[in-house]
Amino acid sequence: MAVFVSIPLLYVFFRAAGGGVEVWTRLLQTRLWSLLANTVALTLAVTAGTSILGVSMAWLTERTDVPARKIFRWLLALPLAIPPYIGAIVHLALLRPRGGYIPQFLEWLLGHPVSTPSPLGFTGAAFMLTLFLYPYVYLLSGAAFRSLHAALDEASHLFGRNNWQTLWGVTLPALRPGLTAGALLVTLDILAEYGTVALLRYETFSSAIFVQLSGRYDRSAAAVLSGILVLIAIIVLWSELRMEGKAQHTQFDSSWRHARPIGLGRWRLPAFLLVSGVCFASLIVPISVLVAWSLQAFSDPELLSSVMQSGSRTILDFTFNSLWSAGLAALLAVTLSLPVALLAKRYPGRLSRVISRLCQTGYALPGVVVALSLVLVINRGLPFLYGTSFVVVIAYVLRHMPQAVRASEAALTQISPSMEEAARGLGRTSTQTLFQVTLPLILPGLLAGGALVFLTSLKELPATLLLRPAGFDTLAVRVWIWAEEGFYMLAAPAALLLVLAAVLPLAFLLKREQIFK
Amino acid sequence: MSKKLVLALAALLIVLTACGTPAPTQVMTEAPAEETVGGSLVIYSGRSEALIQPVMDAFNAKFPDVEILLKSGNNSELANALLEERNNPQADLFITTELMTVQSLAQQGTFESYSPLAADQIPNEFIGPDNLWVGLTRRVRVIMYNTELVSEEEAPKSIFDLTDPKWQGQLAAAGSTNGSMQAQIAAMRQLVGEEATESWLTGLIENDATFFGGHTDVRKAVGAGEFKVGLVNHYYYYLQQAEGSPVGIVFPDQEQDQIGLITNATAVGIVKGTDNRATAEAFVDFLLSQEGQQLFAELNYEYPLLAGVALHPDVQSLDGFRLADVNVSQAAKDIDATFALMEKVNLP
Repeated sequence: MAVFVSIPLLYVFFRAAGGGVEVWTRLLQTRLWSLLANTVALTLAVTAGTSILGVSMAWLTERTDVPARKIFRWLLALPLAIPPYIGAIVHLALLRPRGGYIPQFLEWLLGHPVSTPSPLGFTGAAFMLTLFLYPYVYLLSGAAFRSLHAALDEASHLFGRNNWQTLWGVTLPALRPGLTAGALLVTLDILAEYGTVALLRYETFSSAIFVQLSGRYDRSAAAVLSGILVLIAIIVLWSELRMEGKAQHTQFDSSWRHARPIGLGRWRLPAFLLVSGVCFASLIVPISVLVAWSLQAFSDPELLSSVMQSGSRTILDFTFNSLWSAGLAALLAVTLSLPVALLAKRYPGRLSRVISRLCQTGYALPGVVVALSLVLVINRGLPFLYGTSFVVVIAYVLRHMPQAVRASEAALTQISPSMEEAARGLGRTSTQTLFQVTLPLILPGLLAGGALVFLTSLKELPATLLLRPAGFDTLAVRVWIWAEEGFYMLAAPAALLLVLAAVLPLAFLLKREQIFK
Repeated sequence: MSKKLVLALAALLIVLTACGTPAPTQVMTEAPAEETVGGSLVIYSGRSEALIQPVMDAFNAKFPDVEILLKSGNNSELANALLEERNNPQADLFITTELMTVQSLAQQGTFESYSPLAADQIPNEFIGPDNLWVGLTRRVRVIMYNTELVSEEEAPKSIFDLTDPKWQGQLAAAGSTNGSMQAQIAAMRQLVGEEATESWLTGLIENDATFFGGHTDVRKAVGAGEFKVGLVNHYYYYLQQAEGSPVGIVFPDQEQDQIGLITNATAVGIVKGTDNRATAEAFVDFLLSQEGQQLFAELNYEYPLLAGVALHPDVQSLDGFRLADVNVSQAAKDIDATFALMEKVNLP
């Protein structure tokens, strides 16, 4: 299992080693350092931004009496269904300097060019990614807030602390595991991110990898860069492991009471406006623009026929492709994650932890690198598989395995080993115990992991672009191809279908929320 | 309850997977060599889908039995894929945006030889060695400008003018991942030498030029007034003009001592090991037929290579212009040097 997942890593190091010294020197002479600085800057900015935004939104909707908080809890999580590059396309169309709808409208209205905030460059990219990645932190912090025991707050007040001090001294530290997990997801996402930053004209490490791959016929340079990216990811994962390992969080289970919401008083209205503003920018605006574009497409028969049929394939084909490839990936990922999770939880030790972490580095590899390694390995090893859509599914599994592993591990944590011991004590074998006792108990957790893999596989772009056999396009690929040429009206219906397909597993996850503990 | 749900989902997935098994498996069980035109035709295209779809649709109208499966993407990424697939070919045809790639692949044995029916009506320089590839349409590198921001007199007359500080931050071009840009740099290396090309590229970068992934972004940005000038293939100007944007065109470097217009051509090659040779040949012939060439000329504003096909009325003929003389096979051999140069100057 670990061998299977290590394939991309092995490929990367194999190719990088084969490159030779001259590849390294050539790379060092180029913009490597500035790209590295760019990537680190972006990662720090977005991680900080999403942490602040996610936690504050969670706190406002879970712990205060801001109006309509029940609705906000859902609305704030929904941006996860929107792939960031679609969000970037929408915001670009709206705010592109001189060319966007809003600057043009303002210029028409006021008669002279008006400078509006630009979604391009560092600030734009940081803002955009924060806007579409904060749900990770939001969901995890929200769950932590929700499970806070009232007694903790009351105890803090008894000791004379006011609300603010309670917040800093008691509430926020309780958030730490959720916050670090969320921040980790965000960080790894940004390291591997290419599409959104490319659209917003901000160059990161992944851009450099892509440039290498789109030029030379020798891929060792790309492999070297990917190796560095993996190293950074390993550092991030390792530090998260250290932080998580040390902290201890316990809560009282008996007589658990929901914590009392904090009254905001005169801050109610500003808080409400703030939360609405976030929902507006990250959810309402993209969906509205997509709907508007789709309506324009439907009202024009020529555009409509282009949406419905592209060459020999219809939009139903694309939807079907998206659904079954993501679904199969989810099934495989969850099934394969079980042995890893079982090993980690039932036989804890250095080896199992290493294997578990190894499975998770796949998350930081850019989709292109995973795709390339598969092209090489499958072409040489399993040529009959090559050129089929199964390779796409395998890429999804490789990249999204970490989510399944984490979900399975979390699910297993909640089962006391005494259950399994009892089963064995009653005469069941290990296998019977597994199937009759453990699996049914952790099933909801596994389903949640599967839903997450399904969701992220639906949105996946770079690996799909590279690995897809001719004629196999997913919705994500269609959106990209149309949007690249500026055919936003054609791309919008496909984008809406994608978001719709993503909302279903997301809704399931929101109901569950157990996976992130 | 959850258990039944899971079982149901799993069963559904298995059924869907079985249904979802794609066409390639069917292709493999058919007879290895198709004698008649039919079956499925797998095309890898470095050209954007929008520009190639009309021709494919027209071909389908003529041969409704053929199922065309298109994989469009980046020129060199697809070329890389073809090289990886040499032992296990998946594609039947490869259509490129310029000649360097197709020549390089031909030199590495990726194509099968085919002399199209219309070969004698196509200029010799657009037929690859051993008939391994054939050119389809011609394009020239031009400078387009926004007429509301730049007057005709002010517009740059040579690509070397673009490094002038008066165009600082006002130039849009395609970056190092774009096939046509790569080909232009390769051509310039031949025409003016490595150092002059390097200083030109460095000059562009120091002039804060913005490098996009493709020319569609360039033409739209110039059309919207986001940039004053753009460096594009000629048909992008006409496409933008057709959308009603205030744009103008310059056919640069026409003076006696200047390099002339840098031209290139799209090309097609039949992939070695194709299992549908007859249909592939029919498609190539269609691309080079009167009907196919006319579609390229009328819909895409390109210069057809087939003798006797009329240009779009708006498009300026190349007759009055000096064209740069570039040796394509040499450029293909020097491909590594071109990439090395782009990396040396850190072209985005």
